[in-house]
Amino acid sequence: MENAPEVGKHPVHVMRGINRLWEIDKTMSKNSHNVVLEVQGLTRRFPGVLALNQVDFDLRAGEVHAVVGENGAGKSTMINILAGVLQPSAGEFLLDGNPIVFHNPADAQQAGISVIFQEFNLIPHLSVSENIFINREPTRNGMIDWKSMHQRAEEALKRLEIDIDPRVPVSSLSVAQQQLVEIARALAFDARVIVMDEPTAALSEREVDRLLEIVSSLAKDNVGVIYVSHKLEEVFQVADRITILRDGAHILTDVASTLDEEKLIYAMVGRALVHGKCPDRTLGEVVLTVKNLNVEDSVHNVSIELREGEVLGLAGLMGSGANEVVEALFGLRKAQADEIVLQGKALAIDNPRNAIQSRLGYVPNDRKTAGLLPDLSLKQNISIGILERLRKFFWIDSDREHEAAETYREKLNVRCSSLDQRISDLSGGNQQKVMLARALAEDCKVLLLAEPTRGVDVGAKAEIYSLIDLLVESGMAVLLQSSELPEIIRLANRVMVFSSGQSRKELTGEELTQEAVMALATRV
Amino acid sequence: MKKTMTKIWKSYSIGVVVVIVGIVLSLLTPRFMSMSNLLNVMTNASLVAIMGLGMTLAIASGNFDLSVGSTAALAGCISFSLVPSIGVPASIVAGLAAGAIVGFINGLIITELRVPAFIATLGMMTIIRGVALIYTDGKDLYLFGQTEYKILSGAYLFGIPTPIFFAVGIALLLGFVISQTRFGRHILAMGSNLSASERSGIPTSRVLWAIFSIVGATAALSGMIISSQVLTANGRLASGIELSAIAVVVLGGTALSGGQATMVGTLLGALLISMVNNGLNLLNVPIFYQELTVGVLMLGALAVNISQGFDIRSLFRRQA
Repeated sequence: MENAPEVGKHPVHVMRGINRLWEIDKTMSKNSHNVVLEVQGLTRRFPGVLALNQVDFDLRAGEVHAVVGENGAGKSTMINILAGVLQPSAGEFLLDGNPIVFHNPADAQQAGISVIFQEFNLIPHLSVSENIFINREPTRNGMIDWKSMHQRAEEALKRLEIDIDPRVPVSSLSVAQQQLVEIARALAFDARVIVMDEPTAALSEREVDRLLEIVSSLAKDNVGVIYVSHKLEEVFQVADRITILRDGAHILTDVASTLDEEKLIYAMVGRALVHGKCPDRTLGEVVLTVKNLNVEDSVHNVSIELREGEVLGLAGLMGSGANEVVEALFGLRKAQADEIVLQGKALAIDNPRNAIQSRLGYVPNDRKTAGLLPDLSLKQNISIGILERLRKFFWIDSDREHEAAETYREKLNVRCSSLDQRISDLSGGNQQKVMLARALAEDCKVLLLAEPTRGVDVGAKAEIYSLIDLLVESGMAVLLQSSELPEIIRLANRVMVFSSGQSRKELTGEELTQEAVMALATRV
Repeated sequence: MKKTMTKIWKSYSIGVVVVIVGIVLSLLTPRFMSMSNLLNVMTNASLVAIMGLGMTLAIASGNFDLSVGSTAALAGCISFSLVPSIGVPASIVAGLAAGAIVGFINGLIITELRVPAFIATLGMMTIIRGVALIYTDGKDLYLFGQTEYKILSGAYLFGIPTPIFFAVGIALLLGFVISQTRFGRHILAMGSNLSASERSGIPTSRVLWAIFSIVGATAALSGMIISSQVLTANGRLASGIELSAIAVVVLGGTALSGGQATMVGTLLGALLISMVNNGLNLLNVPIFYQELTVGVLMLGALAVNISQGFDIRSLFRRQA
């Protein structure tokens, strides 16, 4: 860094010029860093929003370049431009130093850029091979050469050391396996640049490690990887360089080893984030007792006792049964139990309607598929469960609906321009707060939270944590299922660790550490 | 500014189109603007509009009903056959009830047999058509001398034919239901995200049964009005009308993807198709070209609808 120009000596536009000269100088002096992809002054306007503002970015062959930022920082816009889905409003796009324009995703793919979106582009009913070779199936006499296709698919998978039969349909694979198939497809396309958007969002801890290994090995094979993630821990594990975006602007790009989590968070949100252990919880009466809960194939003899003012964490890898317990209690799965008592009353758990009436609140683990009503307004998304209470003769009292929605909007600090704004126009964090608001409006006594901060930026995450603290202080009982260990440690005063459908152990106090939870969760 | 313009265009585009088509037609043929012709246009619009209004509820909930034409025929036949024994008012009620029951069965097939609405009602379309033909033994039913039945189509109130009152009345009623009531909110929620609706405690099956019962009843009313125009009913009545019923909803601007509905739009959509048909008639364009025109209109509206985010594959997904 000794040659870096001093900041503050020159006006900004001059600085940008100097910086660029210096960057060029730097790359020329280190010939090994050969830049595959470079964007300069990348700008994208949407009506009323500047999603990307003069962003510079470059990717070298053989590096993992992480892009981090809160929701709304411009990451998705940038990915979509790289993928050819969106066109930039201004800015230059260079591939191997030559200007290039992508009119559509096919152009980007042709140029060797493969984007793995959060929602995969796989066709569920087709086999792994067919997905890998889609649109480029090897043919023989005009017909698909199945033998060679399966063989080549097998090779592609082997290259990633993945043990998947290329003949099975993609729909039979786990999320993690599907992701690997996406990577295999990118490689089969001879991608030189692979962009991964939140690749670990749906993966278990073990699968994440495996994925990160693969990402590193891709880089060793001279592929340039752009790794977009919320999870800073992973970013530090895998990235060579890190770029931070905030509010559509480029904040900094630096070598990962010179940064740390604190610096990163500060740059992302413009403030520091409180981490750590859960505050002291004052426990009250027992509100929920579950004896010997069984869910076919996924949960065996699980008993739970939950008190007022308590956050009981349910930890475990995907498929461990932790999430299934929550879903069963809310009536989303066929389950039996010797006894389920909520506030002294026996509880029937056959459908969500009954669960809500028994005053169980639920925030689903995937708000997009199971929570949001995208066509409805913010207000209507909050009030959907309490319409009966807002009834006047045989219609909805719109004044009272507005009032109720406003109460919870304020309580949860949902930021919006109006209560009538469409929910899909809000950021992920605000949407998640609306999911909480809906459950709270139903006046629940026990809150079932599944992955309450999935796909939520760091700032909103901190807000949601302190909200849960507040709720619990006022006597709410929370059952928290999360696959993020720091989250469990931060919120829960007691944790049940699941594996293979059984609760292995309860941890509290000193015993309750990330390491201990992990050790139990991975023990089969 | 641009955003508000698009929004205005989105909500009122069908109204603008209706006005423009009206102006063009009145320039092409002066007869178009005569009072009697306009009433004629509106009456014809009402026939499709009434079942289209019910259909709007189904589409808003993310569903479809292809059986409305057959339901209309069955209701017309049942109602006609009962007039001699129970009199006109009761037989009209019986026709409505028959339609509602068919709709209810549609709903049951969708929720209990877990068949997508598109397939369930496609099957029922043929089944109910068969039932209607069996019921009438393939013959025409006449109501000579029972002019009382004409109240559904031939009567005037303040100089305006009754079908228009039915259409406007039902539009107002269902418009209120969809925007102001819990039932309406549930419909929009289900069309927006079904699994989220279940998790919000909405009794999705019951709501679906109610929707399809209403669709059946509106189809029945349309069928009885059509029959009463000529005082004849038969099992082949209103065949092919289901596509027009869907077309008017789509033209009106209700999203095929569900979650949103406009009853006024549906009325205007029906008016547009009726105006075009009428105009082509007055211009002596052969009837085959009218079919073609309605098809083109519907495709055009669908294309606009799809560009706003409708995924045609969703038709084939299981609903409840």
